[in-house]
Amino acid sequence: MIGRVAALDFSKTLSISDKNDMIDAIGLGLNMLSEELNTNVVERSKLDTVNSKLEKFAYTTAHDLRSPLNSITGLVTLLELTINPEENSEVHQYVVRLKKTTEQMKNLVQGILEYSIADTSSIEKQEIDLNEVFKEVIEIDQLSDCAIIKIENTLPKVVFNRSTMDQIIRNLLSNAIKYSDKKNCEITIRAKEADDHVLISICDNGPGIAKENQEKIFELFNKIDNESKIDSHGIGLATVKSVLEAVGEKIWVESTLNEGATFCFTLKKEKQGKGTLSGQSK
Amino acid sequence: MYRESAKIKFTFGPDHILYTECIPNTIMTLEDGKESTRISAEMVNYEPRPLLCDLTHVVSMTQECRKHFAGPEHAATFSKCALIVNSPVSRLIGNFFLGLNKPLKPTRLFKSKEEGLKWLNE
Repeated sequence: MIGRVAALDFSKTLSISDKNDMIDAIGLGLNMLSEELNTNVVERSKLDTVNSKLEKFAYTTAHDLRSPLNSITGLVTLLELTINPEENSEVHQYVVRLKKTTEQMKNLVQGILEYSIADTSSIEKQEIDLNEVFKEVIEIDQLSDCAIIKIENTLPKVVFNRSTMDQIIRNLLSNAIKYSDKKNCEITIRAKEADDHVLISICDNGPGIAKENQEKIFELFNKIDNESKIDSHGIGLATVKSVLEAVGEKIWVESTLNEGATFCFTLKKEKQGKGTLSGQSK
Repeated sequence: MYRESAKIKFTFGPDHILYTECIPNTIMTLEDGKESTRISAEMVNYEPRPLLCDLTHVVSMTQECRKHFAGPEHAATFSKCALIVNSPVSRLIGNFFLGLNKPLKPTRLFKSKEEGLKWLNE
């Protein structure tokens, strides 16, 4: 029976006598465990199907919304050029707000799109030098203009998907800058090697995150401060967590309120050429 | 007050505790569980009371029945529940019930009625 249960075949049950002894208890226990496992497997399967449908829905919706949003952006620019409003006039202010709102909506849609494909299990991975990835993201996004970023030690090479790593680093660095409440935003990047993984930490001197919010910040659409004027949709960290967890890695934050925050994530040490991001061979 | 179903004997005493005891070799199904809750609710006049339930003679309890006993309908009928488990099978069912089904009302396992009553009266 145990062999069948291990193969997820729950059809077999043990017959129980009416002696009400230890043997009956063991047999009944196995039957009950099998029944509970069967229920969990069936429920898990149903949840997987629903999740898959939701992910497809989110992807399709976000994807299809991009096109009309791009049209709106173009039309607003054309409108602005056509009416050529005087600076500081009411019309000019409306146009500026319209452009800003459209941009926010585009970012939101892009975020949903990225989140919905974050769990993709067939992304090619390659050996990447984390020093180069950080350097490129900092240069391309011109982050040195907004923050003092220090890489404390030489970062290791890891095997990971390059664009996904860009996405993770871009999200974490831009968050540190976006939420900074100091005149000089300072970010320190460190790497620590353990037995089978590398621990990357990104430490900032920002406002910090209260203990009760340290898990919530990784939830989708979760904005700790709804009154905040910071342009955030609550998607970035959820996406980062999703892509890392999809490949068995972890991310968490260590922080004390008003004393900055350190975002830590793990990366497995792997040899190159093991296939896809999820470890499945193509 | 005393009542009986096909599988369970119910007694509601002056101490306002409902006592239930299954007949030997009882197999509890969802229907039995629902009937038991209905009779109990009528006996306690729909006011949550403590329950002392002797599972010693139960030889099997279906998953649906355990879910029912762990759920809101049963929790609305009883304020807390002492399960008397004196046989290997009843102990197993009790442990499954507490560990996997996680009843909504306070529930504990006891080897004797005296210990169970002491806790119910706390």
